[in-house]
Amino acid sequence: MKNEAMATDSKRPTVVRWQRGVPVYGIPILTRPFAILVAIATLGICLAVYREAAGLGPSTGLNDAYAWGIWKTFNVMVLTGIGSGGFAVGIAAWVFFRRNLHAVMRTALLTSFIAYFTGLLGLGVDVARPWNFRWALLPWKWNGHSPMLEVAICMPLYAFFPLLLENIPPILERWFYLWKESRPAIDRIMPVIRVTYPWVVALAYALPMMHQSSLGALMLLGGDRVNALWQTPMLPYLYVAAAAFLGFACVILTLIMCCMFWKRPFDRVIMGELADIMAKFTLAWVGVRFIDVLARGVAGLAFQPTRFAALFWLENFLLILPNIMLLKKERRETIDLLFKWTIPVALGGMLYRFDPTTLAFSPQPGAFYFPSFIEILISLGWVSTGAIIFLVMVKKTAILPAPVENWYKLEQYRRALQPEVKLTGYVTSHSH
Amino acid sequence: MSISRRDVFKVAGAGTVAALTAAPACAREEERYEQANHIPPGALGLLYDATKCIGCKACVSACVNANGLTPDTSLDGLHQAPLALNASTKNIIKLCKATDKHPESFVKQQCMHCGDPACVAACPFHALEKNLVNGIVEWHEDKCIGCRYCEIACPFHIPKFEWTVFNAKIVKCELCDFRLAVNQEPACTYVCPTHAVIFGPREKLLETAHSRIAAAPNKYFENRVYGEKEAGGTQVVYLSAVPFEDLGLPTLSADSVPAKALSWQKKVYKWMAGPVLLYAAIATAMKRNWVEHEKEIAHEEEETGLKAQL
Repeated sequence: MKNEAMATDSKRPTVVRWQRGVPVYGIPILTRPFAILVAIATLGICLAVYREAAGLGPSTGLNDAYAWGIWKTFNVMVLTGIGSGGFAVGIAAWVFFRRNLHAVMRTALLTSFIAYFTGLLGLGVDVARPWNFRWALLPWKWNGHSPMLEVAICMPLYAFFPLLLENIPPILERWFYLWKESRPAIDRIMPVIRVTYPWVVALAYALPMMHQSSLGALMLLGGDRVNALWQTPMLPYLYVAAAAFLGFACVILTLIMCCMFWKRPFDRVIMGELADIMAKFTLAWVGVRFIDVLARGVAGLAFQPTRFAALFWLENFLLILPNIMLLKKERRETIDLLFKWTIPVALGGMLYRFDPTTLAFSPQPGAFYFPSFIEILISLGWVSTGAIIFLVMVKKTAILPAPVENWYKLEQYRRALQPEVKLTGYVTSHSH
Repeated sequence: MSISRRDVFKVAGAGTVAALTAAPACAREEERYEQANHIPPGALGLLYDATKCIGCKACVSACVNANGLTPDTSLDGLHQAPLALNASTKNIIKLCKATDKHPESFVKQQCMHCGDPACVAACPFHALEKNLVNGIVEWHEDKCIGCRYCEIACPFHIPKFEWTVFNAKIVKCELCDFRLAVNQEPACTYVCPTHAVIFGPREKLLETAHSRIAAAPNKYFENRVYGEKEAGGTQVVYLSAVPFEDLGLPTLSADSVPAKALSWQKKVYKWMAGPVLLYAAIATAMKRNWVEHEKEIAHEEEETGLKAQL
């Protein structure tokens, strides 16, 4: 099946163009690292059962002053922030119509779903009276003034409606090729998905804007418990914008690591575009933050010998220098340099999302919190669960982007194993 | 595949119906909230006069007895000597040591029963609610999900949580409402030997406080009643010779905590207008780009001969 795109690529073999998702193939799912992840996840789930029975006190380091621990502040605040790729890259791709980025959307959507799903699991073991969550079904019982209500309703709604729906096409696609009997059903479902897609996806951008900002709004009621360098009426907006650049960082790092581990071709143009948006957006974000700190007249706090000042500058250092480095095209289009400079951006953003709840949170003199061993293991259990879902999905479905030739290579590979499976030749007429 | 005009109308129609049913519910909720969260005419409260308190802690053990709590003996395993408010202590007397600026003083801590409480604003499913008649901030077991946001939000650090049990509850002073129901006053005021803490309608308590200030003009700190204006007014009010800050009572402006912290949130979410406008703007852009995208997909399929991916 000779075509124009392939011909162009074979003339210039160095240019890689990601065009469609291609599964990671030829590698078994059950590898040694995978087994370790399963072990950690299982341990985490067992400990979560213990936590439910024993109460929060014996299983965590929480206390009345630090009432929120890493399940909320790391698994939810930080990880759903970095899991905002589906929202942030999606807006760039679909609302601002950066067509190039469509190729990385499946990666972004999967990482987002995983982050939200595991974050909600974390939240589930964190709340002490989960059975009362039944009130979520009765809107007239909601307290519309509570940022916590907004988060509690909006996050699951997003994760299990628009975000899940966006993640379904790769699965349907797998069934279409490998499970003949499902084909008539899929042929009926797909047009429905396509008709509703823009409306549902618009929801997938509106809802995260709401709950990612509400995560910041949660801390507004914390008042002076949150250090003044962080406590600002701008907190909701800085939080949602931090989620946006973190989402980009997450997609960049995920793709680079996948390219490195599985020796997949690397599209410099698309990755450069992602890094370009991330760098400029993050620098603007830092600018807004500095203006906010100056306007509120608390800049002096940043020059006192306190841990707060140190954290403030650490965050900004991690966000400013790497993004300035990434302004240069050659750097962001080189895989190892892009990797090296995106890591600090992700760390800086994650630290920003973590600090107001924990490191820059000082409820009472003498109050202390450090997560217990069990607490950390449960938290790691959810992270491992996420990694397991990711590994299975990228090996079973066409998530990770690749050039169109890789689809043909995949077909050759499959044909040797299952001669009856066809991955090409389904497009006969173009009725669009 | 493209979106027909009919589809657009269908979705827009469904959205409008949803919005129209949601709006009155939102409005009712808003009205009810505003109605509840201020100091009602029949507000009940406490007046604690630190200059009268002798630190006998009779109120601490009376509170534990009346509320059926387990005395906190964690300090030495023998005496009921809680170090701070906790899951078995709803009321505590603390000593504020003398400095060169002021003499020593005791201070009582319990729920302040704010006019517009931060905990009530924070609580997702109205587990913490202000009683419409007497303004007591009550906790409802059947609505609390145990998120502990009230502990993060309360400017007075009052709500505490039962960390060591399965069916954990939020513990805080509810002004002995079960005693009020049988015409008894709260346990702490009932046992106080010096009447350092007294119970009554808030109006009356403020009157008493101001008459005490008038009778001894330089006795009380700034000739001021703490809680009259702080955080939009609280139903428990304080008199003290020692600066309130030194007693651990935070310096708060006259705006209520939720009004100050969540004013922008309230504006953005009023009538759900912010989210609806946001959705409409995104959906409009999406729809335009989607039509474009479908054309490109068709072109791409023709070019590569492969089924397009979504």
